Amino acid sequence: MLQETLTLLFQLLIFPGAAFLILLAFISEWVDRKVVARIQSRFGPLYTGPSGVLQPIADFLKLLSKEDITPDGVEKPIFTISPIIYFSLSLTALFLIPILSETALVNFEGDLIFLIFISTLITITVFLAGYSSASSFSIIGSIRSALQMLGYEIPLSLAFIGPALAAGTLSLSGIVKWQISHGIWTVFLQPLGFGVILICFLAELEFVPFDIPEAETEIVAGWRTEFSGRKLALLKLGRDLELLLASALTTSLYLGGAQPVSFVPPALTFLIKIFFVVFLFSLFRALFARFRIDQMISGMWKHLIPLAILQILLIILNVGR
Amino acid sequence: MAIIKEAIKQLLSRPVTLKYPFERVAPPEGFRGRPVWDMRRCIGCGLCSKICPSGAIEIIGKGKEAKIKYYVDRCMFCGQCAESCPRNAIAMTSEFELANYSREKMLYEYEREF
Amino acid sequence: MGYGSIVKVPFGPQHPALKEPENFTFEIDGDIIVNVKPRIGYNHRGIEKAMEARTYIQNIYLAERICGICSDAHTTCYCQAIEELLNVEVPSRAKYIRTVIAELERIHSHSLWVGIAAHEIGFDTLFMHLWRDRETVMDILEFVSGNRVHYAMNTIGGVRRDITDEMIPKINSGLNFLEKKIKHYINTISNEPTILKRTVNVGVLKPKDAVELCAVGPTLRASGVKNDVRKDDPYAAYDEVPFNVITNDGCDVFARIIVRCEEMLESIRIIRYALEHMPSGMTRVRVPLVVPPGESVSRVEAPRGELIHYAKSNGTSKPERYKVRSPTLANIPALCKMLMGQHVADIPIVLAGIDPCFACMDRVAIIDLKTGEKKVFNFEVFRRHIQKCYRKH
Ligand code: SF4
Ligand code: SF4
Repeated sequence: MLQETLTLLFQLLIFPGAAFLILLAFISEWVDRKVVARIQSRFGPLYTGPSGVLQPIADFLKLLSKEDITPDGVEKPIFTISPIIYFSLSLTALFLIPILSETALVNFEGDLIFLIFISTLITITVFLAGYSSASSFSIIGSIRSALQMLGYEIPLSLAFIGPALAAGTLSLSGIVKWQISHGIWTVFLQPLGFGVILICFLAELEFVPFDIPEAETEIVAGWRTEFSGRKLALLKLGRDLELLLASALTTSLYLGGAQPVSFVPPALTFLIKIFFVVFLFSLFRALFARFRIDQMISGMWKHLIPLAILQILLIILNVGR
Repeated sequence: MAIIKEAIKQLLSRPVTLKYPFERVAPPEGFRGRPVWDMRRCIGCGLCSKICPSGAIEIIGKGKEAKIKYYVDRCMFCGQCAESCPRNAIAMTSEFELANYSREKMLYEYEREF
Repeated sequence: MGYGSIVKVPFGPQHPALKEPENFTFEIDGDIIVNVKPRIGYNHRGIEKAMEARTYIQNIYLAERICGICSDAHTTCYCQAIEELLNVEVPSRAKYIRTVIAELERIHSHSLWVGIAAHEIGFDTLFMHLWRDRETVMDILEFVSGNRVHYAMNTIGGVRRDITDEMIPKINSGLNFLEKKIKHYINTISNEPTILKRTVNVGVLKPKDAVELCAVGPTLRASGVKNDVRKDDPYAAYDEVPFNVITNDGCDVFARIIVRCEEMLESIRIIRYALEHMPSGMTRVRVPLVVPPGESVSRVEAPRGELIHYAKSNGTSKPERYKVRSPTLANIPALCKMLMGQHVADIPIVLAGIDPCFACMDRVAIIDLKTGEKKVFNFEVFRRHIQKCYRKH
């Protein structure tokens, strides 16, 4: 009994739980920074650790040690608690993702719905965080992020449903198992859905061309403007976890997830795949200019939602199953 | 989609950033860095200190005995002193890493040795 | 869009889109700007007054430091004004060298601007790439003049350094590289859908408004008005060098980008021609330190537009009055017109569209802090005001 509890604790807190996930999140930030830097013909992080791989951790530690300023006029309770919620939401969601094998640490039928719910909650936390800061930049940023959610939420949910329909289950682990047992990745069956999910995650992650809520030249750091010190550190970590979550979800839903390939352990294939997806995100991030919020929303409704619906229709019509 | 091509090309090639201070480029010939005085040539006419637009040069004493004090932190490396010196006693070097933690260290004094 | 109520949004003096402090108050209806009130005067440096306290030679370097980007335009303009007072003719080789440096500076300034514009709309990759290639022209300038930013090439009566024959191949190879790259960027910019979405039909300035509001430089030329000091009132060697005045009928931010890019190509052609046809001879004439009494005005086409310097001498070695009208000041009314009716998100790119250089243009503004009232003083009233202030303290 004790042994079991200890194992569970170890799994939750260290491997493949919180500590491991946070480490992975830092590494994905490093991959992202490095790729963007290289595209821009820069080095990116370079001196902290081999090729600067420890730089995100160093940044995090540095922010932890900085003064934590709470400006006058902020909605104190929300302002204090929102970074923690933001960070823990992404972390919680990651527990539902099968990383080590085809079954996740936490899994139940219907966890996909839970994930959609969490991704909405994250945006709502962002909105609250910005709105509680009482700075005009933060408020504009949070309104923009809420507006942006109106644009990407529906196509994102539809892109979640696509693989679920094909696999006939609402559990993420089930979808991964289905892909492994059929020996095919969903991306080949539903390429449209894959494109839609990538674009929606770019919007959720606030990456260029959808970095509208934190457009530096327009509204400083957007909804994050007033945060500093520990709170900012948590927000940044939360953002890294969100990046990891987005790529892990894409991998599990569309790229076969933690799949054993001959002697390579499933965890390793999974890692390779998520870093590939992070790479894709960074590539997109570097290749565009920022849209305006009205352009973004109308583009989402006019182009992305029809595409997502078309994908669902194709699945129902049994094309590519 | 020229940008995609360029992006891929950059991804595969070496960044252009120089890892200063580990890698340095030598400034080109004729670079205007810190001016230096050759006191054997100087006749102490005081023209350089009078012409310097930023008051970086101080001359103490007169004529052949004069001493030159040069404040690098005031200098803007225009090279006018070198141009105006009637005896070509001033030369612009290519030295450009001149920052320091104390202002005292940024004063260069030129005295004559007899 | 419109919710019926008008909100006042301050923009600046500290704002990430502005590299220099300046304040604009926007009246916003929903997401649309209905009124703009610029408030200049945050970065007044008193350069004109400082010039009155320095000799003509020292002022060359002070004039150079009015602007870090168009430093050569300011010294050219200054030297021309003083040369007119002295009534000296600059040797024609010096004129050609001035032209070469001016055009190199135009390339560097325009490519800097295109990079900034890309950054304003969030396209950082283009920004980094442009600035990387801009290093080529910076290197050429450094290698010709001895410094990357403050070239100190001009002096009263000519130029301080010669462009020797050994330098020419290096300059030419740099220019070839730049030409290729600039064409590549024009291609990239005009084919990238996200850029087009953010710049086409944004910040429109109709030709009629542009002329009425006295816009200058690329801002004016992007509204299809052919106006360029280099053609209209040639200075340096521009009367001998053939070149086209680039215009574009787009009237929007995109047209401003394209005009600047094409001007860079034109500059490359001008430099090539000037290097090839450079006359031999002296590069400067010696001039007296004391300037005879008189007044003069000189005009130069700086990268941002028409630059005007005015000098008044009273027969000593220091000017009695000096005045600088930098192009940004002339573009401010046009800027306000462009911003009208724009989305809030477009403010940075429209603002950047005129290539503002606020510190160069700043004037003293006397504002009563209690009432927020802005005052204009004439000299007499100003003196009394100052005396009153001194008595109080
Ligand atoms: S101008 Fe030349 S000679 Fe005269 S004091 Fe200066 S260094 Fe000496
Ligand atoms: S280089 Fe210019 S600023 Fe420096 S000491 Fe000489 S004259 Fe003065």
